Amino acid sequence: MEDRFSRRSVLSGTAALLAAGPALAQRHTLTAADILSRMRVNIGTEWREGGVDRIIAGSPDMPVQGIATTMMATFDALKAAAAQNLNLIITHEPTYWSHQDRLDQLLDDPLYQRKLRYIQDHQLIVYHFHDHWHAKQPVDGINTGMARKMGWTGYRDAATPRLYRIPPTTLGDLMRAFQAKLKDRTLRAVGDPALAVSKVMTSWGNCSSFPGIPFLDGEADILVIGEAQDWDLIAYAQDLVAAGRKKGLVVLGHVLSEQWGMEFCADWLKGFVKEVPVRFLPLIEPYWNPARPVFEINTKT
Amino acid sequence: MAEQPAPQRNAQPDFLRAPPHTGPITALQFISRILDKTGAPNRDKTIDHVAAGDPTTAVTGIATMALASMEGLKRAAAAGRNLILSYDPPFWSGNDDLDRIEGNSLFLEKRDFIRAHNLVCFNLHDHWRDRAPDGVAEGMAKALGWTQYQAGNPALLHLPPTSLESLARDLQSRLDDPTIRVVGDPKLEVRSVGAMWGTANQMPAIKLLNSPVDVVITGYAREWEAVEYVQDMIATGQKKGLILLGEVASVDLGMKYCAEWISSFITEVPVEFIGSSKAYWSVG
Repeated sequence: MEDRFSRRSVLSGTAALLAAGPALAQRHTLTAADILSRMRVNIGTEWREGGVDRIIAGSPDMPVQGIATTMMATFDALKAAAAQNLNLIITHEPTYWSHQDRLDQLLDDPLYQRKLRYIQDHQLIVYHFHDHWHAKQPVDGINTGMARKMGWTGYRDAATPRLYRIPPTTLGDLMRAFQAKLKDRTLRAVGDPALAVSKVMTSWGNCSSFPGIPFLDGEADILVIGEAQDWDLIAYAQDLVAAGRKKGLVVLGHVLSEQWGMEFCADWLKGFVKEVPVRFLPLIEPYWNPARPVFEINTKT
Repeated sequence: MAEQPAPQRNAQPDFLRAPPHTGPITALQFISRILDKTGAPNRDKTIDHVAAGDPTTAVTGIATMALASMEGLKRAAAAGRNLILSYDPPFWSGNDDLDRIEGNSLFLEKRDFIRAHNLVCFNLHDHWRDRAPDGVAEGMAKALGWTQYQAGNPALLHLPPTSLESLARDLQSRLDDPTIRVVGDPKLEVRSVGAMWGTANQMPAIKLLNSPVDVVITGYAREWEAVEYVQDMIATGQKKGLILLGEVASVDLGMKYCAEWISSFITEVPVEFIGSSKAYWSVG
């Protein structure tokens, strides 16, 4: 386990260095702690402890040769990053298969051990960047990136950044637009394909009954999410449609529903990290369906 | 009016004689019989409970279903089946947490429908899974014709050799599941399947994936837990696959078997399985 205490002291030490001016900062090797300090300064929102954002593997004093942003620190993503000499991986979702990256039940797990060894052998640092990227001001970083990918930036509601007023379409046509733009083989929907859609509420990523139910009950025609449990929000949407409400729900898959937000994250980092390359590593959709069976993973070694 | 027989002198007084059970049977009485018959112990914390309705209601018929959806309740009410036994509950949360839903118009509509039709909704989940054998696993194996392949455990199956793609196609057509999703190499050779009907939670799924099974079949797994774990296994050269059917498709026929099983010991009222319509559609 890492020593959280020493990480904090390193971070605060680095902040002091930065405050002293660029001349001092230039003299020392660029470390993960330096990058994290700059992220704190640039996020535009208060930095809070207690969420899931933390260094998952590696240490803050390690030198950074390059930065990879990605949606999920899958083994494939780590390999792709290592192959490009991008040793700081900024991931929106976990490394060790739970939201909190809990390890208590995984210490003897062979895949955990193998992944950790790979990270250590390649001098990787993995940073979980979830809560603060969503909390970014003035707009959630994931929302900004997804809107950009969909070409919806100009349609965003001024008061409610999750809400988009798109040119009138139908649920079926919008599904096809998502399929084409996000390369989404297995997106799913609840509702009438002919439903007229012009107001779209978005909750990229996972969306539980709350806030999902109020989003579906609001002024939007449809809600777009990454995933939800079948017995909560999905069941609610089914009942809403069965009760005659003109509503729909689009379920894109978690990775595809958020990952272009991490492309925007790479662009954001480039604004204040000039010393090393910063690249977004897109992931391939995890799934296929029998209509189009494919075997695509990012790296095969 | 038939003439009353003259009372016998030595007859027992009425209050000592058990009355013949000809009156209506309440939901609670049926629920107790069903739970007893599962033989499953009560979990310390269980989600099996009366989620809606008055448990003293006289039962006119029993309906089993995967999810107590609005559509399922309407079909049950139309058929006169007022005791609903569902794997997943009516009010859109695992434990029917109503705190934030009380003023919700769809909640009121569904609750009022349940009241107006004298329905009683019971969540039959834990006892049905804890039964020996697991009722859902047994029902799914029966429906898929897999009972002969069970390896001492209805959720562990040694199938005739097939590929991941063929298995997925077979499940798609037999479960009529248009939105089945698969992780892994379509050409993966499959002989051994571990089934986690319903939901695959993180650690049980990881343990099953590390056992000698080629494929895990489940309804739903979070796309940051078992889905990525199997992707990582594949990325390190392990030959594994994961099939996600959707929760309802993965338990529906387990609740069909539940109706057959209940019919074997409840004969006073009709017992019927109500199949769920598809949760989702997709675009080709």
